[in-house]
Amino acid sequence: MSDRFSRRHHDPHAHVIHPPTKRLMSHVPLRFVWNKVSGHGRKSVGAALNLVSFIDFLVVTVIFLLMSFSASGEMTVDKNVKLPKAENVEDIVDAPMIAVNGNQILVDGTLAGSTRAIEELGRLQKIDELFAILKNKRELWKQLQPNKTFPGVCILQVDQNVPALVVKSVFQTAAFAGYPNVSFMVGKIPSSKSQ
Amino acid sequence: MGGVDVGDGGGKKRATNSDINMIPFIDLLMVTIAFLLITAVWTTNSRINADAQVPGPPNPNTELVPQTPEKVLNLHVGESEFSLVWKAGATVVSEIKVPKNPVEMGGEAKIVRYPDLAKKIEEEWKAQGGHRDPTDRKLDQCILFTDNRTPFKEIVAVLDALYSPKRDMKAPDGSTKKLPVFNMTFSVR
Repeated sequence: MSDRFSRRHHDPHAHVIHPPTKRLMSHVPLRFVWNKVSGHGRKSVGAALNLVSFIDFLVVTVIFLLMSFSASGEMTVDKNVKLPKAENVEDIVDAPMIAVNGNQILVDGTLAGSTRAIEELGRLQKIDELFAILKNKRELWKQLQPNKTFPGVCILQVDQNVPALVVKSVFQTAAFAGYPNVSFMVGKIPSSKSQ
Repeated sequence: MGGVDVGDGGGKKRATNSDINMIPFIDLLMVTIAFLLITAVWTTNSRINADAQVPGPPNPNTELVPQTPEKVLNLHVGESEFSLVWKAGATVVSEIKVPKNPVEMGGEAKIVRYPDLAKKIEEEWKAQGGHRDPTDRKLDQCILFTDNRTPFKEIVAVLDALYSPKRDMKAPDGSTKKLPVFNMTFSVR
């Protein structure tokens, strides 16, 4: 240890790549600090860490997280919507999102109706605001892609406690507006057949 | 300190070796890991299909041929039982009742499942289903009749049971996929 403190100057021409050894706590310039951290002759309370393997671990973790990172905002679920869960499901597709929570109906974040009004009326009805928004979306899609067939797919994010009356009204309105292929967004649970 | 040795500077030129300060480097890695962990999406969402069965306009160049009505499964969700009714047009082909035996899964957020209903639907499709050949790209149709007050989670539990039986279907590229045997739509009354 005396050798550690007798070296006064660092050789500027020394190669900077060194064999992998302990690096943390190897350059403690004060003897009393070194004595303290190394335990005064007893077992040290501070453990040395091999920097090379530590950095390797961090780099591998960063690479893994970057590979599995998804920055797409298409999967965002309205914070007021609690989705039900199902087992026999398909992968999600890119389509207009209609969120239905306990109070409101939203199309891609834009208000398109009230669920309370439907519940109070107590019968199936066409939701005019939702119909107008979806119709505009369909016409815009057709203008942008005149040579393609319109898929007519939309995804409903419906809260698990919303009554069937509201679901049917939204479903029917979407079909009237040219979106007959309606999908319900659900949380995926692992298949019981594979267990 | 860590660094990379790329040889000396060659005479009086500035040295090309450089040191990396390990402390900010490790800090950067830690912050990157923290950011990626916080923004990671841990829940996966999927979808359950439905089709409103809105017919398109008829092709004016082809002559319309009257077709015999296909068998359709009418699934009624009652208070204490389900009824599975196969109908061809207005004619009832068969009818069975399935008692409602919900199986609750999960912890706080209870998930309701109907495994008995799923089994019966599979048996019914094997006995009555009209589209079974892998080259047949059409699906059997199911109409769901449910009370207007039924919560959506119960509808999803019934749909999950309905989509449980699967069959092989050949895609246009020649590959075979397992797909649900039924396509569902709501009864609107």
